[in-house]
Amino acid sequence: MSSTALALVEAAREARRASNVRAWAAAAAFAGAALAPLVVSAARLEDLASGLYLALAATGLALAVGVAGMPSLAQGAFMAVGAFTAAQLRVHGGMPTLAAALCGAAAAAGVGAATGVGFVRLHRGLVAVSTWILAWLVWLALGAFPSLSGGAEGILLPPGPSTAAHYELALALVALAALVLVAVARGPGGLRLVAARERRAAAAALGVPVARLRLGAFVASAAVGGLAGGLAVQLAGVADTASYTPYVSFKLFVAVLIGGAASALGPVAGVAVLGVLSLAADAVGRLEGVSSARFHPLLAAVLLLAVLSLGGEGLLRAPKRRRAGTAASPPDPCDNLSQGVVKARGLGRRYGELVALEGLDLDVVPGEIAALIGPNGSGKTTALRLLAGAETPDAGTVRAEGGVVRTLQATATFGGLTALEHVLVASAAHRRFGGAVRTAVATPKARREEDEETARARDLLARFGLGDRADVDAAQLSGADQRLLMIAAAYATRAGALLLDEPSAGAARAEVDRLAAVLRSLRDEGVALLVVEHNLRLVSAVADRVVALDAGRVIARGTPTAVGEDARVREAYLGRQTL
Amino acid sequence: MDVALQVLVSGLAAGAVYGLVGVGHSLVYRLTGVVHFAFGELIALAVFATLFLAAGTSPVTQTSVGGGRFLVALAGGLAVAAAASAGSYWFAVQPYQLRGSTIGWVGASLAIAFALRTLIVAVFDRPSYVLPDPLPFRDVGDEGFWHVGGATIQVRSLFVIAVALALAGAAAWTLARTRFGRALEAIASDVEGAAIVGLPVSRLVGLAFALAGAVAGLAAVVAAPSGSFDVDTAALFGLKGLAAAVVVRFALWRAFAAGVGLGLLEAAIANLGWAGPSYREVVPLGLALALLAARALRQPEGAAE
Repeated sequence: MSSTALALVEAAREARRASNVRAWAAAAAFAGAALAPLVVSAARLEDLASGLYLALAATGLALAVGVAGMPSLAQGAFMAVGAFTAAQLRVHGGMPTLAAALCGAAAAAGVGAATGVGFVRLHRGLVAVSTWILAWLVWLALGAFPSLSGGAEGILLPPGPSTAAHYELALALVALAALVLVAVARGPGGLRLVAARERRAAAAALGVPVARLRLGAFVASAAVGGLAGGLAVQLAGVADTASYTPYVSFKLFVAVLIGGAASALGPVAGVAVLGVLSLAADAVGRLEGVSSARFHPLLAAVLLLAVLSLGGEGLLRAPKRRRAGTAASPPDPCDNLSQGVVKARGLGRRYGELVALEGLDLDVVPGEIAALIGPNGSGKTTALRLLAGAETPDAGTVRAEGGVVRTLQATATFGGLTALEHVLVASAAHRRFGGAVRTAVATPKARREEDEETARARDLLARFGLGDRADVDAAQLSGADQRLLMIAAAYATRAGALLLDEPSAGAARAEVDRLAAVLRSLRDEGVALLVVEHNLRLVSAVADRVVALDAGRVIARGTPTAVGEDARVREAYLGRQTL
Repeated sequence: MDVALQVLVSGLAAGAVYGLVGVGHSLVYRLTGVVHFAFGELIALAVFATLFLAAGTSPVTQTSVGGGRFLVALAGGLAVAAAASAGSYWFAVQPYQLRGSTIGWVGASLAIAFALRTLIVAVFDRPSYVLPDPLPFRDVGDEGFWHVGGATIQVRSLFVIAVALALAGAAAWTLARTRFGRALEAIASDVEGAAIVGLPVSRLVGLAFALAGAVAGLAAVVAAPSGSFDVDTAALFGLKGLAAAVVVRFALWRAFAAGVGLGLLEAAIANLGWAGPSYREVVPLGLALALLAARALRQPEGAAE
């Protein structure tokens, strides 16, 4: 079939571009598999095709589980929605095969969107709970309403394409889904999903629209599940409730974890492992004269426990490919950097009886470094959260223009991403061709933009003194480098004002000097900067204006020298640090 | 009015069991931050182990088991469920809970659920079972039913409600008044602090899992003879208890109330003219999901983690 050929050509192209042994092996395997109808019996071919549809649903699920980190347990339910929608449309609407399957995908996407809009904001454990309830709900609904599901006999479908056609279509769709999964996971959307998966708060602080991206991943994975269901049901020729129990959802989840959620072909490998082991069990069962089909769930359960106890990474690991985009012709380093201004007047916040902050006036303006100092618990971080808009004040106003981004106090890098990818996460919001579809299809514009952004990110890292470590996993950087990296990432959002929470925490003297140099260069470029600091050495080295807080109130303001000599500031800091 | 009484009794009987399961889920969640997806299957284990010890795997009628043998079987069944519950915590859930791997504990507890389900179905391979009732409710009233006005009330239901309330009371007393209960309280509020003052956290949490499994199992054994029973019946006890608990954010006694509410809602919907039994299970679970989603939408983004 032509779609198979197209997918194979695209796979080969991708393989050549990456000059990657694994991709070549995968393309060869798919090409070999396309010849199966010539040698395999019809009954076996139907098993293979139905396994491939399952693999398609699992590949869709990998986007939600692997990339977005949402343990969705409803993929079987989405298959069921697709299957029964397609079956009804075939029988009562007289729709052709593909149209009915696409309607099934749309119906599953609709259910995914309606439920996901709330689910994606829950934490991971509750995502599992709510999707598991959804899986049961769909199954119960099928049982309760025979008008939808055809009752105990199911819905008998009119004959459709041949088994061989189904097989080729399923194979092509699996190859296509795997390629799209790789492209999307490596693209800007995927990087941001991974960042949010690893540290949601830090990602949100960098402007990652976490809920929106997760919803997109959830709906896309539901749609793929619905498509797989809508086609699988036509292969089977009958839509029957017993084939869509919550066990299917569990099985798909297991397949993703067994194969490895991080690799594009992991879910396919997982389905294959489950299928081969089930066949082996059936063979043993026939020898012993017992029906072994009902032991398949036990097999899946034991396999899952084994994979989890081995570290839960699955059979296939994600290939780490270096990103191209060297800074051969560095693009304009900071186009359209906006002028950032944050002005606060009479800012106040209380938590119950505790007055965390009261009457703070503060200006953060371009070309100046303002510093907010004070002992522990004096309200610095509260002030920063209010200024960044992460919290709403009880009193006073904040006027912010030109974009405000804050860094978090803890060194919070995103596990599994390189330093370069951290910068790409932050700069993704400015891409014009970074949408999932353009990324998946890799349009020329999207590719050019990808190269430009990567080059720009390398440039930026070099400026922060991290150029030689751009392709290193960020978790392996020193603490000071990690903090510099997060400042670089905040800068890469192109916000006009950066609010930094204790950028020098735990840094040695030489590192403080390096940090001071970076901050001064950002100031000279016109960035509005606020540092919330403990380290008075850094403050006196870089700050133009200092505001000192104690117990939520301003006790002094002025130049670093003047504030440092203020009696009340000395008293507040007494015993903690001397100037 | 007659329908209302009928709905009230049957709804309370089912809801009290959901409520107890919800309390078990909440207790487990408060102690560990983990949801035990195998809870329903542990309930099935308690029921079928009791059945196995009382009557083997052969077909039984409601009256064919003597009271003495049944009590021994019940003790054995609950012990099996309690041991399986604690064991599943220590060996399958705790390693991932300590590592903070959500996918790990979700996967492990689901794997336990399907392993238990497969084993139970392998031994009890008929579609559904009628459990023996050691108490002679059939001899009360009209074949075990009372007719009050126009309402028909199953006498067993009153017994189920009484036992479930007694169990809830006993659990509340244990948690509030005993040293074990206060230790669990300490672990739930500050697990590191509890470990520092020398509480054997892992053992106590395992015991709490065992207690939750046994209490829910007992409630299910008591309720089961009221109708036919299979693994899915038990899994749905687990699921509905979970739905009740998650809607009230795993608050211990509000989960009980939510479970009772769920049972009443089911009974009411089953008796509504326009809805009927088809909607009995679908509507309350759908409502629970809608409440969960609505609550998530109301909280500011990122507040959940």
